[in-house]
Amino acid sequence: MAEPSASPSDSETVDRRAFLKRLAVAAGGVVIESLPGRSRPRAGAAEEAFRLRALEPDPKRGGTLRYGVASSPAHFDIHQSGTVANIGAQGPMYDNLIRRDPRDGQTIIPDLAHRWDIAPDGKGYTFHLRSGVKFHDGADFTAEDVKATFSRIIWPPTGIVIPRSPLFSAVSEIRALGPHKIEFRLKEPRPRGFMLSAFASGWNVIVRKKTLEENDYNLRQTPNYPGTGPFRHVSRKKDEVWLMERNPHYWNTPLPYLDRLAVYNFAPFSPELGAALLGGKLDYARIVDTATLRRAQEQPGMTGATYYQSVVDAVWVNTRHKPFGDPRVRRALHLALDRHALIDVVKEAAPYLLGGFVYPFSEWATPRNEMIQRLGYQLDPKPAVEEARRLMAAAGYAAGLRNVDFVVREGTSWKLWAVAIQAMLKEALDIETKLRTVQISAFFEETQGGNFDLSIGAIVSTLIDPSDYFNAWYGKDGPQNYSKWHDPAFQRLVAQIDRELDDRRRRALVRQGETILEQDPPFLPVAWEQLSDAWYTYVKGQQPRHIFGIYDVARWDVAWLDK
Amino acid sequence: MTWPGGTSPGWTSEATGPGVLKYLLRRLIFGLPTLVGISIVIFVVMRVLPGDPLVAMFGAEGFQRLNPGDRARIMSDLGLSDPLPVQYVHWMKDIASGSFGRSFFRGDRVSELVLHRGPLSAEIGLLSVLISWLVGLPVGITSAVRPNSLADNVVRSVSVLFLAIPGFWLGMLIVLASLFWFHYKAPLVVVQLWEDPWTNFQLAIGPATVLGLGQGAYIARMTRSCLLEVIGEDYVRTARAKGVAERLVVVRHALPNALLPVITVSGILMGFVLGGSVAVEQAFGVPGLGTALVTAIVERDIVVVQNLVLLYGVIFMLVNVLVDLSYAVLDPRIHHE
Repeated sequence: MAEPSASPSDSETVDRRAFLKRLAVAAGGVVIESLPGRSRPRAGAAEEAFRLRALEPDPKRGGTLRYGVASSPAHFDIHQSGTVANIGAQGPMYDNLIRRDPRDGQTIIPDLAHRWDIAPDGKGYTFHLRSGVKFHDGADFTAEDVKATFSRIIWPPTGIVIPRSPLFSAVSEIRALGPHKIEFRLKEPRPRGFMLSAFASGWNVIVRKKTLEENDYNLRQTPNYPGTGPFRHVSRKKDEVWLMERNPHYWNTPLPYLDRLAVYNFAPFSPELGAALLGGKLDYARIVDTATLRRAQEQPGMTGATYYQSVVDAVWVNTRHKPFGDPRVRRALHLALDRHALIDVVKEAAPYLLGGFVYPFSEWATPRNEMIQRLGYQLDPKPAVEEARRLMAAAGYAAGLRNVDFVVREGTSWKLWAVAIQAMLKEALDIETKLRTVQISAFFEETQGGNFDLSIGAIVSTLIDPSDYFNAWYGKDGPQNYSKWHDPAFQRLVAQIDRELDDRRRRALVRQGETILEQDPPFLPVAWEQLSDAWYTYVKGQQPRHIFGIYDVARWDVAWLDK
Repeated sequence: MTWPGGTSPGWTSEATGPGVLKYLLRRLIFGLPTLVGISIVIFVVMRVLPGDPLVAMFGAEGFQRLNPGDRARIMSDLGLSDPLPVQYVHWMKDIASGSFGRSFFRGDRVSELVLHRGPLSAEIGLLSVLISWLVGLPVGITSAVRPNSLADNVVRSVSVLFLAIPGFWLGMLIVLASLFWFHYKAPLVVVQLWEDPWTNFQLAIGPATVLGLGQGAYIARMTRSCLLEVIGEDYVRTARAKGVAERLVVVRHALPNALLPVITVSGILMGFVLGGSVAVEQAFGVPGLGTALVTAIVERDIVVVQNLVLLYGVIFMLVNVLVDLSYAVLDPRIHHE
C-alpha cells in the first residue's frame, strides 16, 4: 500500500504529473494486494494487520467537526443516488467492501474486506470479510449483507435505478462462501484495476440484508438505515443539519477521532457556504467558490485546496437535427471553440482544466504539451478556425447557419460560456444561435428528449477508467450520450477496451478511440471540472488535493481537530 | 381620545357586534372563490411548466438511466399519472386532512415543513411591518411638518433610494459587510423563538430589516402626502386657532385621519413582504418558508410549491380583511355591516 507524504504547503494544488505519479503508485498497491498465489498471513492476523490511522502523528481525540456541504438529498438511498447531497451527508455512516485510502484518495485499501483474491483466469474475485463487525443497530455483519447489497446494485429490482449497475455488467454470480467470505464470478475477465475501482467506489456502501428486505429493496424514503461506518445517526433537521456521533463499536479502532460530526446543508459554490466558513460557523467547507478559496488561502489559520472532479462540461450537438449529423459540421464547431479563452471566462467562478475527450489528468490522456499542439486546443485559435471554415464549406454551409436552438443549463459557468460560445460560433462560422436557459429539472428533459440543436451542461462519471465513461458518454445507448451519436468503429473499440487486460495495449486502444472522437465529435468538450475546499488549519486528516471526484472519500474517519 | 368634531372614537355596536361578524363571514365567503382561483392557477401552472421532478429525485445520472416503465411507475406512485381533476381533488383532500400532502422528496409532510419554518417567516414578516412603521411614520411626519426643508429633501431622497434598491441585493451587502467588518454570520439552522430568543432574533432581524426598510420608504412617502393633505383641513386649522400645541395638532388631530391610507398601503405591502421574503431569506441564507419555496421550485416539488403559494394567498387575503377591519377602529364613520 502506498503511503503518501505530507504536502509541503497547505495551499498546494496537485499538478497532473504528481497526480499521475500517485496514481501509478496506487495502481501498484492494488496489484500487490491482489496478486494471485501470493502467500498470505492467517486470516485473523491479516485482519489485525491493517488498521487505518491518521496521516499525522499523535492525532487528538474528540470535538465536533462542523462540515458544510450539499446535504439535502432528494431521497436517502445512496445506491440510487448520483449527487454529493447523499454521499456528503450519509457517507460517514457506512463502510465499503474495499475503499480508496482517504489519506491519498487513490490507493485501494481493505475496508470490510480485509483481503481479496483474484482468480488466475480473472473471472473470480473473492473477498475475505472482517469478523466481529456490527451494524449500528447491533446486528452482525456477514457475507449475506454483501451479497444482498451487491445483488441489488448489479441487478436492481423493478423501479430501482442504480447508476453504478453497468460497472458490474460482467458479473454473473455472487456466492457467499461462508459467513465471512464472498465470491463474485465474472462471465469474462475485466481489467483488474477497473473491477477493483468499481468495488471501491464510494457509492457502493454495504447495507444490511434485513434492511433491504424490510424496505422492499428501496431505501429512498428510509432516513436512517444502519451502516457499519465510523459515525452513527443522531438527528436530522431537514435541509439544515445532520448530526452524527462517533460509533463506539467501530471495528477500525481507534477511529474515528471526532466525537461528533455536524453536516450543514449548503449549495455548492454558494456565497452562503463561503460566508458560513469565513464567519466561523463551519470548520470545513466543500465546493467553495473561487473568491472564498482565495480569501481562505490568504487568511491566517485557514487554507484551501483545489482537486480534480469527475465531471466534463460540454456542448452536445444533436446529431438527429440537420446538419449536425454531418461529422464535418460537428468537427467544425469543435474547432471553433477557443478553449483557453473559455476557461479564462469562468476563472472567477470556478477553476477548470483544458482537455478533450479523455480525463486530462488520467494516465490515458494525451499529455498537455502534445494536446496544446492539436487543432482546437492551441493557444492561437486561428489555424483551428481556418480548418473549421474549410469543413463547413465542404459540408455546404460556408454561409453559416441560422436559428440554432442553444439550450443552456441554469448555472453561472454555463451561462457565461453560452454567451462566449455564441460569439465564437458567430465570429468563426457565422452560426447564429438562440440561447434558451432552463432549470436543471427541465434541462435533462430537453436534452434526453432531443429538443435542442446545441445544449451546454455537464456530466459525471463514477470512475476515471475509460471503460466507465466511454460507454456512458459515447456509447450507442449510453445514458449520457445526449447527442445520440453513434460510430460503429468506436463501439467495437470500446468493447475491446473493456476486455483488454494488458495495460499498455489498452492505453493504445484508448488513444485510437480518442482519435475517432476528435474527428467525429460526439460533443464539444469545453473544459474539465476542478473543485475547491477551504477549511481552518486545525482540521487535520483531510487531504482533498489528490482525490478524483468527491464521492470516494467522504467518511471523515481519519479527520481530527488540533485544538 | 378626543376626535375632531367631538365624535367619540372606538367600536360602535355595529363595529364590534354581529355587524362585524357578518361582515367578516361575508369577506371570508367571498374570499373562498379567490383562493380556489389561486389553487387552480398554481395547480395548472406547475403542470404546464417544463421540468421533471424525477431529475431532482434521481439525480442527473439516475434520471438518464430510468427506463420508460420505471418512469411511468414512479410518476404513478407520485400521483402524477392521474387525470388533472383527480390530482386536484386529491390535493384538496390533503388540505382538508391538514397534512397538505407529502413532498416528492423524502416523503416529508408539507404541514411539518410549514410548522417548522413558518414561525420564522411569520416573525420576519411581522418584524418587517413593525420596522417599516417605526422608520416610515417618524420620517413621513418629519417630512410633512417641514415640507421642502433640507430634512424633507434628504428623507425623500433616502426613501427613493430604499424603494429602488432590490431587497436581495441589500441583503447580500449586509451579509458581506457583517462578515468582513465584524466577522459575524447569522446562525445556520432554524431556532424557534421559544427555544432560544436571542439566536432566533439574530436569524430574523436581517431579513426583517431589509424588508422593513423597503416598506418603510413607502410608508414614509404615503404618510407625508396624506399628512400634508390633512394638515390643510379646517379642523386642523381650528385646533391650531384654539391654541393646541403643534405637536398635539399633528399627533392627535391630523395623524389619525392621515393613517387610513397608510394602513391600506401596509396591507398591500404585506404582499410585497411575502413575495420579497422569498428572495431576501435566500440572500441571508435564512431557512424560512421563502427559502423552502425557492428550493421546491428548482426541484419541481409540485406538492410543496402549490401548497406554499396557496398558503401565501390565504395570508394575503386575511391581512386584507384585517386591514379592512382596522378602518372601523381608526375612522368611526366606517361601519362594517
